[in-house]
Amino acid sequence: MAKIDLSNISHTYNPSDPNPTYALNPFSMTWENGKRYAILGPSGCGKTTMLNIVSGLVKPSKGKILFDENDVTNLITEERNIAQVFQFPVIYNTMTVYDNLAFPLKCRDFSKEKIEERVKSVSDTLRLSSFLNLPARKLTADQKQLISLGRGLVREDVAGVLMDEPLTVIDPDLKFRLRRNLKEINEQYKTTLVYVTHDQNEAMTFADNIIVMDQGEIVQVGLPKDLFERPKTTFVGYFIGSPAMNIFESEVSSDYSVKINNIEIKTNSNLSKIKEKNVKLGIRSEFINVAEKDGQNTIKASLKRVEDFGNFKLLTANMGDFVIKSKVNREMPISNGDINLYIPPEKCCVYINEKLI
Amino acid sequence: MNFKHKFVFLFPGLFVLIGILIFPIIFTIRLSLSGWNSYTPEMNFIGITNYIRLFTDDPRFWESFFRLSFLSVTTVILQYVIGFALALMVWREIKFKRFFRVIFLIPMMTTPVIMTVIWRTFFHESLGPVNDLLGNLGVKPILWLSDPVIAKFTVIIVEVWQWTPFMFLLLLAGLLSLPKEPFLAAAIDGASPFRKFVYVTFPLMAPISIGAIIIRLIEASKIMDTVFVLTSGGPGTATETSSFYIYIKGLREFQMGYAATLSFTYLVIMIISLTIIAKVLTKLMIKE
Repeated sequence: MAKIDLSNISHTYNPSDPNPTYALNPFSMTWENGKRYAILGPSGCGKTTMLNIVSGLVKPSKGKILFDENDVTNLITEERNIAQVFQFPVIYNTMTVYDNLAFPLKCRDFSKEKIEERVKSVSDTLRLSSFLNLPARKLTADQKQLISLGRGLVREDVAGVLMDEPLTVIDPDLKFRLRRNLKEINEQYKTTLVYVTHDQNEAMTFADNIIVMDQGEIVQVGLPKDLFERPKTTFVGYFIGSPAMNIFESEVSSDYSVKINNIEIKTNSNLSKIKEKNVKLGIRSEFINVAEKDGQNTIKASLKRVEDFGNFKLLTANMGDFVIKSKVNREMPISNGDINLYIPPEKCCVYINEKLI
Repeated sequence: MNFKHKFVFLFPGLFVLIGILIFPIIFTIRLSLSGWNSYTPEMNFIGITNYIRLFTDDPRFWESFFRLSFLSVTTVILQYVIGFALALMVWREIKFKRFFRVIFLIPMMTTPVIMTVIWRTFFHESLGPVNDLLGNLGVKPILWLSDPVIAKFTVIIVEVWQWTPFMFLLLLAGLLSLPKEPFLAAAIDGASPFRKFVYVTFPLMAPISIGAIIIRLIEASKIMDTVFVLTSGGPGTATETSSFYIYIKGLREFQMGYAATLSFTYLVIMIISLTIIAKVLTKLMIKE
């Protein structure tokens, strides 16, 4: 186990180009020992590059990687003692499950007793004990993925286990169980787990800390709650949450309020120092309520659609050119025609140039 | 739906197939039941007399067949090992990769007969450069072409030189098509290059290896031009292979009926043995 420091890391795949495009823009970050991290972002945002830099499969163009203050930037993967699980299960076809799990230890010349003890412990945790003597190729895809994971966990001293969308090939109900399993492993072995995904639910339920990335940039690092309630950029607002955050073009009208379509909306953000006139107001559909009558921070909109998702209803309403989405309790009676929607000031996020103030 | 007209569309293909494959086989079978030779060049019917002769009174054919088995299996194994080694060498990023890849392919692109003539000159026992060079090193002249045992290895050397590139090409294509992740996983597990080869590269390459070996075995068992030019089956019958023996019977001695018997028997044996070899190789190498 180790603390992993990424210091001023950046990476480009075409270093000889005078104006290289960066797959990862310069950033620094620390992964604390024993914590669970999720790297979340759309395809091609640099998630996998970041992971490969940590595991040593890719050497960063600039910057340093430290494991417990030791510089490992120039060490090859074999020397780093890190584990990585790929999107598709990778197993050694010719070996049994036991030999698969023992392989990393055999490569490092552990004693037979030690190997046996570690394989037993890990196979118990992963519920693979009853398959140990079977050829690994005979197992199902999800069991194979557990083997890949197990090969990372057998090494007690492993600096961290990196997972690159490891549950893609796995059935949804099993995914849920495996995620819980991963959490248990993290608590039992105190292994630093880093989990790459483009699925926000996976990230939100798995991690202590979520790292949101977009176009080679780290946009926000934080707890699931922060990402949900106070997204730092409009991108995070769009990307996290379902439906995406409501974002309205608006104008600053006074120190604490903005105007959308000539309706004044009070917020809790101090806008007195804002020079630009045009800002964006973001609010989660979860926080917009249906109000009985018109009043402060209430907008009148015409209801377009009501979708019943079982546990909630999603209202889609129009106000001029704006589309507003609101999640409401499914028992709430909804009348057709115009509705009043109340926007609570404490939940409003104001963005200038796509960034939260 | 009426499917009758599908035969109309099948006909051109079928016609070609009948013309170039089915007719010659049937004709060979019929010919093998005749006594066609230079004295009686006619399609008479003598029953299975030729087959009786082959199975009871022709040890030369069976000797040539076992010789052929030895030659083809040995050459193919050598080609596989050398071809695999060369492919592994230029698979990864190395300097002058493209140059080496082309260099390794050159023998395959040359004409076998001409190259064999050149090899024969090389190995000429009194005038060839090989013995001359060895002589400078104090080695006594080696009877490359006139010693019954050494002549076999001379044939093997030429065959391996000529056809290893083909094996190399197939195996390199296979290596280049392998997924990256198993190698990355092995690197993460800390596997040494040897372990990587044994547990990752080789198992992943098994299907393509079998394909390559079978293709080469089929080709190698037809070995004819090298033997013809290099040793003419000699000394004696020391390097005579089945196809060369069939050629002698049919086109030198004009025993067409008997040569047809040999050809057909040879075809049946080859089909059976290659099927068995393919099955055995699959069982040994692929663990799915």
